[in-house]
This record gives sequence, C-alpha cells and structure tokens, in this order.
Amino acid sequence: MKNVMALVFANIYDSSLGQLTNKRTLASLPFGGRYRQIDFALSNLSNAGIRHIGVVTQYNYQSLMNHIGSGEEWDLELEEGGLEYITPYSMGITNTFRGKLEAIYAASKSVLELGKEEFVILADAAVICAIDLEQVVQAHIDSGRDVTVVVKAGIANDRKQLDLAVSLDEDGEIADMAVDYAAPENYLAAMGIYVMRKELLIQAVEECMVHNRYRFERDFILQDWADGKLSVGAWEFGDVALFNESTEEYFRNNLAIIDRNIRHSLFRDDRTIYTKVRDQVPTYYGEGCEINDCIVADGCTLLGTVENSVLFRRVKVSTGAVVKNCVVMANSEIGIGAQLEYCILDKDVTISAGVKLIGTPEHPVILNRGDVV
Amino acid sequence: MNFQKKRCVAMLLAGGQGSRLLVLTENTAKPAVPFGGKYRIIDFPLSNCVNSGIDTVGILTQYQPLELNEYIGNGQPWGLNRSHGGVSVLPPYARSKKSEWYKGTANAIYQNIPFIERYDPENVLILSGDHIYRMDYARMLAFHEVHDADITIAVRKVPMEEASRFGIMNTNPDGSIYEFEEKPKQPKSNNASMGIYIFKWEVLRKYLVADENDPNSENDFGKNVIPAMLADGQKLFAYEFEGYWKDVGTISSLWEANMETLGLNPAFNLYGDGVAKIYARNYALPASYIDTGARNVNSLIAEGCEIYGEIRHSVVSTGCRVAKDTKIEDSVIMPNVVIEEGVIIRNAIIGEDCRICSGAVIGGSFREGEKRQISVVGKKHRIEANQVVKPGEVL
Repeated sequence: MKNVMALVFANIYDSSLGQLTNKRTLASLPFGGRYRQIDFALSNLSNAGIRHIGVVTQYNYQSLMNHIGSGEEWDLELEEGGLEYITPYSMGITNTFRGKLEAIYAASKSVLELGKEEFVILADAAVICAIDLEQVVQAHIDSGRDVTVVVKAGIANDRKQLDLAVSLDEDGEIADMAVDYAAPENYLAAMGIYVMRKELLIQAVEECMVHNRYRFERDFILQDWADGKLSVGAWEFGDVALFNESTEEYFRNNLAIIDRNIRHSLFRDDRTIYTKVRDQVPTYYGEGCEINDCIVADGCTLLGTVENSVLFRRVKVSTGAVVKNCVVMANSEIGIGAQLEYCILDKDVTISAGVKLIGTPEHPVILNRGDVV
Repeated sequence: MNFQKKRCVAMLLAGGQGSRLLVLTENTAKPAVPFGGKYRIIDFPLSNCVNSGIDTVGILTQYQPLELNEYIGNGQPWGLNRSHGGVSVLPPYARSKKSEWYKGTANAIYQNIPFIERYDPENVLILSGDHIYRMDYARMLAFHEVHDADITIAVRKVPMEEASRFGIMNTNPDGSIYEFEEKPKQPKSNNASMGIYIFKWEVLRKYLVADENDPNSENDFGKNVIPAMLADGQKLFAYEFEGYWKDVGTISSLWEANMETLGLNPAFNLYGDGVAKIYARNYALPASYIDTGARNVNSLIAEGCEIYGEIRHSVVSTGCRVAKDTKIEDSVIMPNVVIEEGVIIRNAIIGEDCRICSGAVIGGSFREGEKRQISVVGKKHRIEANQVVKPGEVL
C-alpha cells in the first residue's frame, strides 16, 4: 500500500508498567520469547506493504533504536520513506510530548507533510496482535468515514480503564464513545489503531494545538465526534489482541501464548512477525530435564524442570531447579535447586543455588535487569 | 580502480556435488546441507573466516547454486556485507568465446584470477565447503608468513591405521614438507591434509597459469598443483591443527558430526567459547513450543518448532512440528519437517521439508558392536501413513 504511511507510538503507558520500563520504552519490552512489543505493530504495517513509518518516542529510547535500527528487518531500509524516529528534541520541542496530538504536531511539518501518501495509520505498540491492515484501510475507504477506529470486544470488564471505548448500535454504528473509562462489558476497546486521510490529521492537530488540546482520543476523536464535526466508524477485529498496559496484563499475556489458539493467532504461516535477529545456537535440552508447556527461545541450556513458562534467549536452568509460571528474559541464569513461581526475571538476572521466590498471578515477583539474588 | 591491498583473500570451493550424501544433495549443493539444527555446512568455514579477520571471501559454486546463492545473499549474517571485499558468489560465467564449467579445484581458482586481483592480495586461503570445524586461520596465516612459505597446508594427526585413506604430508622436523602421498598403502606419517591451503598469491598465480596450459592436468590442487610445486622445490609447510574437524561428505559422518554436537561437553561445541561464534542466516520464526509431557533428553531443538512428542538424543532443526505419541531417537531432523502422530524415528536423517504421516516407522534400533545403519529420507519427501523405512534404507 504505497498510498499509506504510519505513525507508531512507542511509549504511552510506561508509567503503569513500573520497573519493567525504567530503562526502556514499553515498545521495546521483550515479549513472547524472542520479540519486542513493537515488532507486532511494525510487522503488521510491513505485511500490509507500508514502507514509510514514523516511530514516536519520548525517552528511554536507546534500547528501542538499538532494536529497530534502520528497520531493515521490516523492509524499511529505503531511500525514500522508510523509517523515521520522532522524538521531542529532534522536532525542536524542549519538553516531552503531553499527548499523541503534540507528537503528531511535532511530526507534521517534516514527516507527515513531506510524505506523498494520502492515508495515515496510527498504531500503538502496547497492543499485540496480527492484523490485516490492508483490509482495514480498504474498509475505511469504502465506508467514506473521516476516521476508522479498530475495536475489540471482550476487553472491557468494568475494571480496566480504556483509552477509548465505544458501544455500537444494531447497525454497527458508534452509539457511544468514552475516554479513560472503565467501561462495562458491552463496550468495545479501541486497539490504538486509527485510519484517516493524512490531510485531515494535519488540519486537526493544528486546530487542536491552538486550543491547547493535546490528547488524541479525548480532545480530537471524542470531542469532534460529539460535536458532529467528525464521522467515525468502528472496525471490529475478531482475532486475538493482547493489551499490555499494566504489569499484571504483561505477565498474563506473555504466558498466554502458551495456549495453542492464541499462539497460532499471533504467529501465522501467512503473516510473519519480524524481529531483530540475534544469532544463537539451538537450545540444548539436557539429560533429565523436564519441560512442560513452555515457550523456549534459542540459546538456552535446560537441565532442570520448567513448567508453563516463557524462556527468552540464552536462559540457563540448572539441575534440580524448578521454574513454574515465570517469564524469564534473556541471559538469566537460574542456579542449582532454585525454585521460582510467578516471577518475571528481567534480562541478565542471576538466581543463586537454592533460592526460592514465589509470587502470585496478580503480583508476580519482578527482578530488575542484572539483579543477583 | 585503486583498491586497498588485502593481506589474505579466501576462496571457498563450494562446487562439490556431494554424491556420497545421496538424496540429501539431490537438489542441494553440499555446502548448503543443513547441520546442527539451524546451520548449513558452509556457515563453518564462512564464520571461521570472519572470526579470523578475513573479510574478503569468494564462494565458488557450480552444482545447484540457486539455494546457496539465496542463502549467502549479501553476506549480512556473517558481517560480510562490506563495501570493499565482503562475500561474492562466483559461478562459472560465460566468456566472450566460450562458457566453461569449473574443470577442477585449481581451474575454479584459475577462472577467478580477475576477482582475486581486484584485491591485490599477499596470500590466498583455499577452503572447502564440506567440513565441520572451528579454526583460527589467522594463526595459520601467521605461521605461513613467519616461515615465508610459498604454500602452507593445514594437517591433522589421524590414527596411523587410517592414514592410508588420506593425502599424507611427510615433513622434516621444522615442519617443511618433503613429500606428499595421496592415499599411500604404506604411510610414513599420519599428517593428513585437511584441504585447507594458504598460498602466496604471486606463486599460486604462476602455477595456476602453468597448470591451465598443461593439457594432461586434471586441474586439481591435490593431484597436480601441489605435486608440481613440490617437484620444483618451492617452500611447502605443514601447519598442524589440533581441534575438532570432520569431513561430513558421507551419510554416516554427517550423522555422527550432528550427534557429536550433543551433550554438556560435546566433542564439537556449537556454543564455542563465546569468541569464535558460528553465524548463520536466521529466519523470523517464533520461539519453540514444548508441550506437556515432552521430555527432551540430551537434544538440540532450534526455534520455530512445536514439539508434542518425545525426543531423545537428537537434533531437531528450525520450524519442525512433532505431534504427540511420536518418538524420535538418535536422529537428525532437518528444517521444516512435519511429523504426525504415532511415528517412530530411530537412527535416521530426515531431509528438509519432509512430511512423515502418522504411524510411519523409520529406521531401527542399534546394537553395540554392529555397524549402525542410518536411514535417510530425502528433501521434500512424503512418507505415507504406516509406511516402514528399513534401517539403512535411503529414500
């Protein structure tokens, strides 16, 4: 789709993910054994043939840039278009973006206006899914609407605060729209994916900026829709979408891909998820190890027992160690006889022999990068 | 063009048909044969080059080059996507008057003299694409330069009783070679040539031209060029290599070398010491899924697999599916193989992209003291439900 460009937002919810995002953006959080969260948004865009993407990021973006680099894994290393980073200081702004609209405004003069594309997709790195965006853009064009928002049923539960929630009438038209709302179950959650004409977006941000409106969902989509100035259509996504907006969700969703249906919905034969390649040896499963219901990346050495867990690259599980319901990020080492349940081990963690750490599904024990226990 | 002079350029002979690997090389050049779960044989010499600081590699292809070309690409996985040097795939090319296949190893290099001269190298390293080993060529190059040798040949000690199967280098105490015997009936020493040579380029160039003009020559390094140099009194040295090295040119040696990567302290450790890493082209595959009840004992399993069955002492490569109630033992499963339920595979090599339907039985058990019979299923084969592939059978 040469006529479409995209903006991907890398840190929106960092504050609600606590220590996991102390030194990285939410977008660069490891997910699913060998990915970073942003791989899904970038791959969805790349698989739709989109070759001009701006990645909006505010702070802690060293690991993100290190991961995405020039974007060659997503076919974005191009003479024209390709990958662009949008950061406050590089855009001549001396404080961080207060909201998506400010970020878009910062990007509008350079990235948006210089691009030749007619349409723009906005996407959020916090929602993990494998979606056919070509279909979404086509539906948007066919609908004649100003904006199409991609929504997902089954996320609203009265407790989770949604950025944007909509309810639909019998014809699938938006009946109600709300922001920052712990919506009841009959509402659908916006997945952070919006399609519109680029010209409309540029005009909207200029209008919003001069009125000190900086939050995209509240100050633009909801307000203009409520004022009758904006026609908004909802496109319902039927497949798996994982919202990683809190530590608890992040933990649960990492383990969710152990489920065959969820895994096969995200990793499909017809839609590859690309990531930065880290060349590792195959994982060695030793004498006497016992691995039950696990996701295991390359480069691990497994000599102990691991159950219902996700192991990233180069994890070592020593003899007699028992790891259950854990997310273990790259290069962590679990010593002889150690016992871990409901833990998130960030990268490079060392668990000494015999250590016992037990969390709960709601409150997993979280170890910081490089911790030695 | 004024290029910077190179100390050493490597030429990798990857044209071998590998006919002793039977069905595994029906549509695949031998260097492109998968190894160790995610590698291909060519990854070993290529990675050795990179780890030895050699950044210019010509790969001479001839037989089934398509897959190999695609695999090598721009050389990026090995860090060989350089603006000066890097990796170049060199098929025999059509000339103005005639198009010539590579007649022999020496002729393959002869035909690529223009390529080598672009880099104006001091030395040329000749490698073959069918060995599994980890070697620092920089040390051999230093040895070569210290001795001011015209050619240095890498050798390794083999058991004396096996020496008659190899090209044997008989050396003086200082390491210089006074005699070369191809498969001698009565070997005088056990220094077997590894098919790895470093030549002074100006000397090699002279001999390649002379060899090409000799109508009786088979244009082969071992048979023609090296004996001619020896006869002329050039300085030949043997460089002794002590690490793991395996010619994987036969089914049994390929199977053995794969098995020798297994264990906590394997004979050949793919992990290495963290310095001399073996690089491979990687594909975007998810991490593997290991199901409840899958006890994978002493095995390597690469990424992109879904394992529901039982695996013992085996190598399972990238992108394989192994269904439940299936048992795999002492076997090599190459990439993207689908194995359905209730299959038994023992002492076998299953080629890339095969489908093994439910209830099939491939290979058999092995008793200590007997010769191990390796069953082989060639690339893209389909083994029907309940089909039996006998021990040693090749399909």
